Amino acid sequence: MSIQMSKRVTVADVMLPLSGFPVVTESIMLKEALEKMSDQRLGIACIVSSDGVLIGILTDGDVRRKLLTVQKPFSAFFVDDVIVHSAKGPVTCRPEDSLADAIEIMGSKRIWDLPVVKDGGRLVGLLHLHPAVQALLGIAK
Amino acid sequence: MKVIEIGYGDVRKVRVGRGEQLAFIGGPCAIESRDHSFFMASEIQKICRQLDVPWIFKACYDKDCRSAPDSFHGLGIEGGLRVLEDVRKEFGVPVVSDFSDPAWAAATGEVCDLVQVPAYLCRQTSILKAAAKTGRPVHLKKGQFMSPWNMKNSVRKLESAGCNQVILADRGTFFGYNMLVNDFTCFPIMARTGYPVCFDATHSIQLPTSMGNISGGQREFIPYLVRAAAACGINALFMEVHNDPKNAMSDANTVMNIKHLENVLAQAKAAHQFRLEMLDKFGEDNVHTNE
Repeated sequence: MSIQMSKRVTVADVMLPLSGFPVVTESIMLKEALEKMSDQRLGIACIVSSDGVLIGILTDGDVRRKLLTVQKPFSAFFVDDVIVHSAKGPVTCRPEDSLADAIEIMGSKRIWDLPVVKDGGRLVGLLHLHPAVQALLGIAK
Repeated sequence: MKVIEIGYGDVRKVRVGRGEQLAFIGGPCAIESRDHSFFMASEIQKICRQLDVPWIFKACYDKDCRSAPDSFHGLGIEGGLRVLEDVRKEFGVPVVSDFSDPAWAAATGEVCDLVQVPAYLCRQTSILKAAAKTGRPVHLKKGQFMSPWNMKNSVRKLESAGCNQVILADRGTFFGYNMLVNDFTCFPIMARTGYPVCFDATHSIQLPTSMGNISGGQREFIPYLVRAAAACGINALFMEVHNDPKNAMSDANTVMNIKHLENVLAQAKAAHQFRLEMLDKFGEDNVHTNE
């Protein structure tokens, strides 16, 4: 698939479904969110409200930055609500967006993942760079 | 922060939480007899009425964590709960007792307006589940061995069993052997659970089992700790009081002589009031680690 052809490919064609990446509620412990991220081998967890609206994300980078600034014991850090250490108002895309445009955003923001939301901010998927690039190169499974 | 209302039926309801008056949870450590409980309740009620302090009568029917096998164990669940029920009716006051066996929870909750989970048992799932199932608000004491942030796990156990009416209390933290220390950062940390916090002053000055087969205590520090805790921002104050501490049947070295209650409680109320005024004037504390 050429880059030009990929304009016809949408985010919805490539995004991970909700079951394919860590989705957590805001009051889950940071430790539990990190475990989910490790289990699903992704450097991001999406935090949603009770009605599924995206309210923040937690990434490996967020945790790395916190490790350089948090002064309390790890045992206290681990039990904090995940929302406390998350980034609010993350960059997102929509399922109908073209894959090429979404990848361009990822490149300009230097990020690996883009949460995918529908109207009202409801989380419906996650665009992860690896499958996106695979699709772009026409080697998607 | 949630406001927890304690009291069912005809008793005077006590509200514990942000913006409310400082509540007092107090009474003798153990129910020694019906007459003694009535005497203590009568004396405490006079003081609380005079000071206009909302009050919950505390006395336990079974002391299961005494140091020695022959120490007074209590009146037992049946007789003890009958006394609490009578105190409740006679004085119109909510009552609280702890319970140390999940099998005692239901009966405790039938009588008591507030059920208490002992500090040593604060992470026991069976106890917490049983407390939650009573349907009453739960007074959950932080174990002397627990960090304040790990109390979140105990709160989650209560919540997962259907309880969302909790008060978290500090009664000191082990500082080496036979010694406790109070870390008042525990109050804002435990308050992050969303529930009110309480300071247990008389157990905080305990020297656990420091005297071989009984616990010692340094009562002289009670007023200092009470003032500090009230200024820190607690929602309730817990103190065990007795008319004759030397001859108290439980915790003789830590219960406070009731002759000091009016003085200490008045100071606690004043410090709490001042704290509320400061909140109004200066707003919530807003200092952060990284700024």
